Amino acid sequence: MKENIWSRMLNLDRRWIFLCIGVVCIVPFFLPFGLPVIPTAHVISIFDYIENLGPENAIFISFDFDPGTDPENMPMAVAVMRHAFSRHIPVFFTANAPLAQGMLESGFAYVTNPDAQEYFHVVSWQEWAQYREQGITGRDELQAAWEADGNVLPENASGWVFEGRDFAKLGYLPYFALAILGMTSSIASQYPEDMNGNPLIDMPMLQEHKSLRDVDLATTFSGTAACMWWVTYAREKIGLPVAFGVTAVSATDYTIYIQSGQLVGQMGGLRGAAEYEVLLQNAGYVEKPDRAFIGMDVQNAAHLLIFFFILLGNIAYFAGGFHKKGVLLKGRR
Amino acid sequence: MYTTIGVWVAALFTLAIYSFLYRENPLYRLGEHLVVGISMGYFIVVTYTQVLKPRLIDPIANDGEYILLIPALLGLLYITRFFPKIAWLSRYPMAFIMGTSMGVGFPLAMKASVLRQLEATILPLYQSGMPWHSVLGNVILVLGTLAALIYFFFSKPHKGPFFGTGSKIGIWVIMIGFGATFGFTVMGRISLLIGRIQFLLNDWLGLIN
Repeated sequence: MKENIWSRMLNLDRRWIFLCIGVVCIVPFFLPFGLPVIPTAHVISIFDYIENLGPENAIFISFDFDPGTDPENMPMAVAVMRHAFSRHIPVFFTANAPLAQGMLESGFAYVTNPDAQEYFHVVSWQEWAQYREQGITGRDELQAAWEADGNVLPENASGWVFEGRDFAKLGYLPYFALAILGMTSSIASQYPEDMNGNPLIDMPMLQEHKSLRDVDLATTFSGTAACMWWVTYAREKIGLPVAFGVTAVSATDYTIYIQSGQLVGQMGGLRGAAEYEVLLQNAGYVEKPDRAFIGMDVQNAAHLLIFFFILLGNIAYFAGGFHKKGVLLKGRR
Repeated sequence: MYTTIGVWVAALFTLAIYSFLYRENPLYRLGEHLVVGISMGYFIVVTYTQVLKPRLIDPIANDGEYILLIPALLGLLYITRFFPKIAWLSRYPMAFIMGTSMGVGFPLAMKASVLRQLEATILPLYQSGMPWHSVLGNVILVLGTLAALIYFFFSKPHKGPFFGTGSKIGIWVIMIGFGATFGFTVMGRISLLIGRIQFLLNDWLGLIN
């Protein structure tokens, strides 16, 4: 078939498209459009659920993803962690795989990095041992005693987080589905110690929440079907409320579980994380949204470009007569 | 200093991986192989420190919990896969895992993924006081589910008003589902690129906040 502009368009070297996407994904970082991100019902329901919890409750944040989906899953996990820490809700951190444990460490380090703004200052298990010996384990009395001893919260910090009182890093266990099942009877039976080797049984948050039956919500951030373990082994067995933060690719797969009432809500991809960041800002927990929100401008620009390319490809396809079967068979490379 | 070295290594390997977009090259392959190798190394270290040492080696060595030797031996049987003459022994731990997973997981998985979904599809199409969009949503949900199921019913030819029209509607329902998944997939892939660009521009080059 004779070469013309339409056939050249359809046979464009894909590297030009990669280059265009690359440029479009860089420019908005320097020239942001500031398009609004409006939270959707599925994300608001997770936020509202956590908003109604307090120091007497407890949640699980399960890092069930590896570095391959870090840009999507990490902002969600970080946003929920900030929300829980701000409300002094005790958090159990788990991971379903060795690499996921690395993600747990990385996410926790991000939220508790003293060089960052609005970070949470960690007080390790050993640092507040003397208060435990005095029987001070309640959240408010512990903070009051800690500050009364001259400990001052740094200016750029949002609050204290006490290991064993506000959080416990449980980490990875093999055959994690069975670990979830075991935790429906006893968390300490599955995790006698936390990742740092601290005895879990002595931790006040574990004494108040001995099994998943005493926990109020499990949030799982996953790039695979591993998130379903929480529904299968915890939601269906003991009725534990579960919320998902999943990659955009899997978002449609799990929407049906919201409709069936098996999920509190779901964050889908970077967009879901950005929505949660906006909710945190609107509620006054953070001054400005984090990485996911910034990425949404880029996302919008890239989507517009892809939309433009799809449109252009279709115009070339029909204008060049490629929709006629004979032409397609003879001419198109 | 170690952080700076780490950031530089990560940045250079990010660029090495993206060099594949131009063409396949040795730098890309080096990056690809290192990802697999380092991931496996990390996997082994975490498994040893988090699982093997505290749950097997220490209890046996310090507390004399010799009963743990039974699962340890069962686990070691996996290694017999590498020796053809005794490779059949590796079927025992596999059979144990398969049997346990099926026994424990099947009833709950059936409940979570089949029965609950069935229950969610058995809806009242209309109740007094129900807003019109809920009625419409329920009708679409029930008819859409039935149409998609008809499309996958192969015991009757897809002809006539019920099977013919039903399967055609079913194709549309499935295509709409695929379309939504494709849209989300595009978003997901761009998100991964955004994550890497944020790392390069912020952590590596310090050009953005």
